Amino acid sequence: MKLVIGNKNYSSWSFRPWIGLKTAGIAFDEDVISLYVEGSREQILKHSPAGKVPILIDGDVRVWESLAILEYAAETFPGAGLWPADPAARAHARAVAAEMHAGFAALREECTMNFWRPPAKRALSAAAQANVARVQDIWTCARERYGAGGPFLFGRFSAADAMYAPVVQRFIAYDVGVSAPARAYMVSMTALPAWREWRRAALRETWVIPKFEYDWPQVPRLPAEAA
Amino acid sequence: MQLVIGNKNYSSWSFRPWIAMKALGIPFEEILIPFGTPLGNPDFKQRLAAFTPAGLVPVLIDGEVQVWETLAIMEYLAEKFPDKRLWPADRIARAQARAISSEMHAGFAALRGECPMNIRRPVRERALPEAARANVARVDAIWSDCRTRYGGPFLFGAFCAADAMYAPMVARLNTYGIEVGKAARAYMDAVTALPAWTEWRAGALAETWIVPEDEADWPTVLSA
Repeated sequence: MKLVIGNKNYSSWSFRPWIGLKTAGIAFDEDVISLYVEGSREQILKHSPAGKVPILIDGDVRVWESLAILEYAAETFPGAGLWPADPAARAHARAVAAEMHAGFAALREECTMNFWRPPAKRALSAAAQANVARVQDIWTCARERYGAGGPFLFGRFSAADAMYAPVVQRFIAYDVGVSAPARAYMVSMTALPAWREWRRAALRETWVIPKFEYDWPQVPRLPAEAA
Repeated sequence: MQLVIGNKNYSSWSFRPWIAMKALGIPFEEILIPFGTPLGNPDFKQRLAAFTPAGLVPVLIDGEVQVWETLAIMEYLAEKFPDKRLWPADRIARAQARAISSEMHAGFAALRGECPMNIRRPVRERALPEAARANVARVDAIWSDCRTRYGGPFLFGAFCAADAMYAPMVARLNTYGIEVGKAARAYMDAVTALPAWTEWRAGALAETWIVPEDEADWPTVLSA
C-alpha cells in the first residue's frame, strides 16, 4: 500500500491519513511530491484524476480525499480501530470528521499549516475566531462525552483525531489562545510518535511555498534540530 | 428516525440525505426548519440548537444518536441499513464512490458560490468565472467516467450515496443552463427522473420563503 502525499511542512490534507495510518499501526510506503512547482500537477494526475494529494494506492484500488482514505483504511483494517467501536460515538466521530473535512474555511485560509514556522500570533478575522471557538467546542464536547478511555477525542486515537491533527498544528504555529482542556488535547496529539516523525521530516524539508509563508519574502524557520 | 432539514428550495445539504433515504426506501419523519432571513438569524439557530450543536442542517436523529454533516449521515445509514446498499458492494467501486463523495463534500466552492441551489428559479444561463468552469469540467469528468466504467444509469449502476451527494449539483447545472457532455446529461436525466426528485421539487415549489443570499439575480427573484 502506498500513500502519495505533498510537502510535510505544508500539506495538511496529506498529514491526516498519514498520521491516522501510522498511529493505527497500518504499514504503508510513502511517495512525497513537492507541491506547486513545475511538473507537480502532472505527477499527481498520474495517480488520481482529481489532481489532489493525498492518494492511497492499494493494488487496484485508488482512493483520494483524506476522509475517503480513512474510511477505506477503517474498512480494510477493522482491527486497527480507526473509528470508535460504540455506534453513537462512531456517528459523532464521523460527524466531527466531516465537519472538519468541509469546514473552517476562514481558519484554514488565515492559518495555513506550517510546521517550521516559529510560533507567533496572527490577528484573526471574526470568521476565523468563530472557527476557533467551534473547534474547541467540538474537542471539549467529544472529550467530555466519549473521552474517558484515553487522552484523545474519543478516548483512544481515532480517525477524528487524524482529521483534526493539522488544526492542532495551526493553533501552535499561530499561537492561537485556547482553553485548558483544548490545550491538554493538543499536548496529547503532539506527543504521538507519528506526530514527531512527521514533524522531524517537515523541519528538514527545503521546499518553500511563498503563498503559504505569511512573512514572505522572509521565511522564519525553526532549526531542524528543534524536532 | 427524524431528519431535520432547511428550505427545500435552497438547502443543498439537506437535499442529499433526504433523497438518499427516499430513493433507497428508508422511512423517516421530516422536520423542516425554515432558514428565515438573514441567513444565520438567531431564531433559526435557536430552533436548530434543540437538535444539533453544530448549528447546521441537515441532522439525523435516531433515538439518542444525532448525526450531522451529510457524509456522516450517509455512513451512519450505510451501517444501520446494510441491505439498502448506500455504498456499492464492490470494494473498488466503493472506494471510488467514497472518494468522489468526499470530493463533493469539501469541494467545488466556486461553482457552489456562483450557482446556489434554487429549485424554483427558471432555467436561465449564467456566465461563470474560470474557477467555476473548472469545477464544472471536473464534475462532468467524474460523472462521465463513472457512467462509462459502471454502465449507468446512476454513477455506480444502482442509485447510491454518491448520487445523493451530487443531486444538488444536478439541480444547479440544470437551473443555470450549464452545458455538459452527453454522458453527464444522460446521468442528470436519470437523477431528475427519480420519484424522490419529483417529490422534493414539488415541496420546494410550494415554498414561499425567499433567501436573498441564495438568489443569484437579486433583487430580482426569478420564479416559474
